[in-house]
Amino acid sequence: MRATDLFDNYLFGTLTEQDKLEVESRLKNEVEFAIAFEKHRVLIEGLNQHEQHVNIKQIFSTIHQQSFGKDAKIISIKESFAKKHGKLVAVAASVAVIAVLSTFTILSAGGYLLKQQRNDITDLKRDVTELKYSQEAIIGGISSAKTNRLKKYAPANIEGTGFAINNKGYFITSLHMVKNADSVFVTNSLLERVSAKLVAVDNCLDIAIFKLDQVDAISMKQYPFSFNNHQSEIGDKVFTIGYPRKDIVYGEGALSSLSGYNNDTTMFQISIPVNPGNSGGPLIDEKGNVIGMIRGKLSNAEGTGFAIKSDLLKQIIDSVKDETVKAELVLNTKKSTLKGLKRSEQIKRMEPFVFNIMVYKK
Amino acid sequence: MSKVTYTDLNFINGLKHNDDVVLRALYKKYYNLVLKYVVNNSGNSESAADIYQETLIVLYENVQKPSFELNCQLQTYIYSIAKNLWLKQLRKNGNIIRFKDDDENEVVDVTDEISDHYKKDSDIQKMNESLEELGEPCKTILKDFYVYKLNMEQISEKFGYTNSDNAKTQKYKCLQRLKRRFFED
Repeated sequence: MRATDLFDNYLFGTLTEQDKLEVESRLKNEVEFAIAFEKHRVLIEGLNQHEQHVNIKQIFSTIHQQSFGKDAKIISIKESFAKKHGKLVAVAASVAVIAVLSTFTILSAGGYLLKQQRNDITDLKRDVTELKYSQEAIIGGISSAKTNRLKKYAPANIEGTGFAINNKGYFITSLHMVKNADSVFVTNSLLERVSAKLVAVDNCLDIAIFKLDQVDAISMKQYPFSFNNHQSEIGDKVFTIGYPRKDIVYGEGALSSLSGYNNDTTMFQISIPVNPGNSGGPLIDEKGNVIGMIRGKLSNAEGTGFAIKSDLLKQIIDSVKDETVKAELVLNTKKSTLKGLKRSEQIKRMEPFVFNIMVYKK
Repeated sequence: MSKVTYTDLNFINGLKHNDDVVLRALYKKYYNLVLKYVVNNSGNSESAADIYQETLIVLYENVQKPSFELNCQLQTYIYSIAKNLWLKQLRKNGNIIRFKDDDENEVVDVTDEISDHYKKDSDIQKMNESLEELGEPCKTILKDFYVYKLNMEQISEKFGYTNSDNAKTQKYKCLQRLKRRFFED
């Protein structure tokens, strides 16, 4: 019998009493035999521990996937929209489910025509297919670690910014970015990659409200912004953070006008240099109030941006039909926790609530 | 469906015996505790899930020890392990930033558990590398024989050897190769 067989049988307890005694006596008296046995025993124990470890790890990771995991498969907005949220959809200017998202021709009660503006105002969505090469060149030099993480996933067709309106998983972004989307994912410093479903849209205001499919992480964080309904004035210092590229970018300036292009009273004019990808980002004042959402910029003039006034968000929320959803669409009107903090500290607290939006199209 | 409440002891026994239903309930019960701690201390949901799973593995390893005794609430024990693991990881990455250690939860000393875990983890890592180098079918043959206690006839059949002596020879060769890899430095 080979030594290993002897060891195996001894460990499995399948030796005869006489052989067992012989092994035990050799273990006491023959050093080399004892060393060989000890190695064998350690190896077998290692094999068992390894298997046990692999199994329990698998068990926990399966439980996690089933209980808290993100849905890895791409969810079609159109489908889930019709199935689950069909009746939740609020469209301020009547009409429309997702099919209407492809057109911008609706005249709103406010009396402005988006179709006319389109030629003059550049939508600030980041068309990834067009910008891809220059983007990668920039990113490659700056932060390879972060992009490596993101490279695990297929590149989105369009990327931009969005921000949470509370810590219950709801966020808003520009409707022009997500129109005709097949699926929408968000990512930032807090969320690795989470899918989101459309909850409500307003064609005229160019706002879409979404809900994250995973709300556990964000619900643990304190919501930093306030929707305090105060009067903004020309000259107020304002800033935004957003994702014109894969890393978050800060931009500041002032409120230039209380109306937008063509005296559109639904918008502010701002002097923040905004770029493709900034669309959907929050416009914040010094006290941490969200006063608007970045919408676009004037094509023929640099440094002229436009933001939709956040006051109008309430109008969309009011029109939501589903009471359970409506009950969750609560806006914080208490003082912002950002007030009085250094700008860098404010940004740290805001970052988890500002998302890089990735839009996939069929 | 009735909702079952488990005691700490139920959870410990469930861990000892790999009881799937209990493990599931345990997992769900303390996930938010660890998630909250990690995301509020420079982590994200992904790192929180990793730390939580490692925490439960430490717990699992410990309850298997015959000497294991729980001297505090299970929640405190889990929180302490998670916190320890997460701080180690932050330090390893050299980025203790935005650290907000307000400790609203009680902690107990788990230094021994953590150091045992790291030692064990490096052994398992070593075994994993050795097994990966070894490849198939050796890996499965050895596991089948030494862990799942299949006999040579069963192994011979499973891997299509002409007879159990051939299977036995193969197993012997595999074991020798594993031994060389595992004990080499």
